[in-house]
Amino acid sequence: MIQQTDLDESSLVEALKRGESSAYARAVSHFSPGMLAVARYYLDASSAEEIVQDCWVSVIDAIQKFEGRSGLKTWLHRIVANRCKNKLRSSQREIPTDFSERLDPELASRFNTSGRWASPPKLRFDESADALMENEALSDCLDKHLSHLPETQRSALILYEAHQHKSEDVCNILDVSASNLRVMLHRARQKILLMVETFQETGEC
Amino acid sequence: MLMCRELAGIASDYIDGELSAGRNLSVKMHLMMCRHCRSFIGNLRASTELMRAHSSARVDPAVIDRISDRVSEALRDR
Repeated sequence: MIQQTDLDESSLVEALKRGESSAYARAVSHFSPGMLAVARYYLDASSAEEIVQDCWVSVIDAIQKFEGRSGLKTWLHRIVANRCKNKLRSSQREIPTDFSERLDPELASRFNTSGRWASPPKLRFDESADALMENEALSDCLDKHLSHLPETQRSALILYEAHQHKSEDVCNILDVSASNLRVMLHRARQKILLMVETFQETGEC
Repeated sequence: MLMCRELAGIASDYIDGELSAGRNLSVKMHLMMCRHCRSFIGNLRASTELMRAHSSARVDPAVIDRISDRVSEALRDR
């Protein structure tokens, strides 16, 4: 589970410093999904995987200088982000992003010209998140929609919601302003909301 | 007076407690009077919790295996 990052981080760090392969195995499976999410914000899937591999190899030496001022997760995510930024600088690629509109177009079309709901939310989600997640079809649907989100929105959502990073860290890692992060998060959440609404109403993804 | 469309645009900021006190109050006033927006906020909050419950960063295990192999190799080569 992603939230259990605190699984005795200091003893993990010590084991990594000693170069214990079992500690690396644990750390790789625990931290790589988040690191890949960071890399995917900047790069395509295969370059992202390559960068994450390179980062782990560099961590073998760099961990000796890790002092624990930030958490291990944040430290790893920053290493990935910096490598990606360097790679992009050399290829001079720009990240395409649209921060101009706070409302998802599908949601925006549900208001009338005076700004009131023309097509209001049809139902309320009464079940708890955990109960909803027991529905495998919904969980698969969520996966599908997450994979269709623009990379920028998905990375923001994953780092902020699933990895529970502070806004400040997400801004730093993704190199966006606080206000642009708010737009990305809000856009991504609306997409998920619209997906759940359709799913609850029709049973279809 | 805050309109529903405007509220929908700042709903995440409201949920995350990122609004100024004045703005927060106008959202609260609107919500007292508007059941549609109450539903919207409730649903947005539920979707947000859903995202947290969902291990969203699920990655193809083969990718993790390849990373592990590369790290083991690097550790052996030291």
